[in-house]
Amino acid sequence: MKNIKIGIPKALLYFKYKELWHLFFQKLGCQIIISSDTNKEILENGIKFSPDEACMALKIYMGHIHFLQNKCDYILVPRLACLKKDEILCTNFSALYDLIKNTFPTNIIHYNVDVKHNKTEEMAFIKMGKTLGFSKKESQLAYYYAKSRADLNKIKMLDEQKKLLQQKNLKILLAGHPYNLYDQFIGEPIQKLLKENNITLIFSDIYEENDLNEQVKTITKTNYWTYNKEIIAAIVQYEKHIDGIILLTSFPCGPDSLSNEMILRKIKIPIINLILDEADSNTGLITRIESFIDILEERRKRNEERTND
Amino acid sequence: MITINAYLGVDIGSISTKAVIIDEENNIIASDYIWTKANPIHAVKTLIENLEKQIQNKDIKIKGIGTTGSARKLIGVMLNANVVKNEITAHAIGTLSLHPDVRTIFEIGGQDSKIILIEDGIVVDYAMNTLCAAGTGAFLSSQAQRLGMNVEDFGPIALTSKNPTKIAARCTVFAESDLVHKAQMGYKKEDIIAGLCQSVVNNYLNNVGKGKKIISPIIFQGGVSKNIGVKKAFEQEVGENVIVDENGHLMGALGVAILSKSTPLKSEFTFKIMEADFDTKGIECKGCSNHCEIICVRKNQKLIDSWGNRCNKGALK
Repeated sequence: MKNIKIGIPKALLYFKYKELWHLFFQKLGCQIIISSDTNKEILENGIKFSPDEACMALKIYMGHIHFLQNKCDYILVPRLACLKKDEILCTNFSALYDLIKNTFPTNIIHYNVDVKHNKTEEMAFIKMGKTLGFSKKESQLAYYYAKSRADLNKIKMLDEQKKLLQQKNLKILLAGHPYNLYDQFIGEPIQKLLKENNITLIFSDIYEENDLNEQVKTITKTNYWTYNKEIIAAIVQYEKHIDGIILLTSFPCGPDSLSNEMILRKIKIPIINLILDEADSNTGLITRIESFIDILEERRKRNEERTND
Repeated sequence: MITINAYLGVDIGSISTKAVIIDEENNIIASDYIWTKANPIHAVKTLIENLEKQIQNKDIKIKGIGTTGSARKLIGVMLNANVVKNEITAHAIGTLSLHPDVRTIFEIGGQDSKIILIEDGIVVDYAMNTLCAAGTGAFLSSQAQRLGMNVEDFGPIALTSKNPTKIAARCTVFAESDLVHKAQMGYKKEDIIAGLCQSVVNNYLNNVGKGKKIISPIIFQGGVSKNIGVKKAFEQEVGENVIVDENGHLMGALGVAILSKSTPLKSEFTFKIMEADFDTKGIECKGCSNHCEIICVRKNQKLIDSWGNRCNKGALK
């Protein structure tokens, strides 16, 4: 059995597909190397190798690729253009493969999903397996195994999150792309601050997939970005069960700038939009979050007083 | 003489430091206001000395201390404060104690600007300037310097203008080059100054005020509220009366003083505390590649607190 080392950057789509990728490569008997959590060095290298206009999340991704160089046989860089008919993804995800290929002299393993042009995820994974020397059967089995396990895991996480909604303390929905919510440099400090303030955190990447389109339509009828639709659907699903929403964006995100505007206009409960860039100081951030928590606490106190009267 | 229970509130902003001492009924017994001059520790020491002088004939016992403003954490440690609160909540509580019916607070300070929306006496929404300091006090000060004037004179001069010059307001850099251009074209000084005041207002309303429903009563605070030209420009733009309280600069300090009343003090406060020697030291953690900058606060050369580390590797205490 060949022992192939696959490097996976812990950035961008990692936070969405980590189970699927892990299980697929594991089943095929490949060794997996994950880059370390984002740190200053990764960020600085990312900035060095990125175009100026790139968003912070993409800059971080570039830093992770730099980190993985010479540590593995291949680095996994998927190209995702379209996951559902009539919908698209941010152009960064379709450009990722070419961007990395032209920036770093490293071996890339990629898969290409473009449903509009009849390139499904399953076909993409089989093709990727073929490049690594696995038969169609082997790859297909590994994909089915990984996909079903990953889907099961999603259901489990949703159940767990639903239980959290029963908690009595303040609940805040952290809404945004998973690569922002869970990144060590973007979302992690915010999560930490909120937990220190005894807040129960609900995450927008864990949501119910049924009726997604109907839910999105209550906020906007014209959104065609798949990942943004997921965020909007999560917000609609949780709105009535939480105290407030923190909308997390990395600067400058095109799709978010449009969809956030619609969310901010339509949502009735307290909501703030935090836009993060590579500036180091988080003083302003702390002030914003603390005063947001104050607002939620005061509101709750007021509501309790009213129901007691 | 009866002992009065009192509460100290300190608001340490980037440009100025404000403090009040209040009694149980929220009456201001003593207050002062000085420049921070990028040295918050020294500013607070001076300020507290001044306050002590103001109350030396009275028997006052400090039962609580609150700090707010951008150096709230540092000064909170130094004064052993029982409340360390963000400036949005502090300003809202301070303002509400004097104007219970307020609905909107405009605040333009030295470095940042905020809008706070209030409904039924609680904060319901707010916004702060994020990536840009355009249209704040620092901008007006630097333009005053460029025009060879005192920023304090801007307000009265702006009022004499009959035809304010339009100045590009979106960005300080463009506003500045526009201002130079207009001056070279021969526009009158008072028209340019009135235009600057308007540009501050337009910038504010398009930036932090964007999408916010502005309902009167409106209270305007922060250093820039002392500029009557900006106040007038706000009134014209919003179409409502804008109130500037003469104690407007003290609202943050008043707010934390009120907050400290409801929290018990950790240890006794005496004005002697100011004789201690405080200093801070920034060190770079070598624990990992993050190189966190850790701030150490020392009292009489002894470490009393530290922060700035992202993880436990950098924990000093």
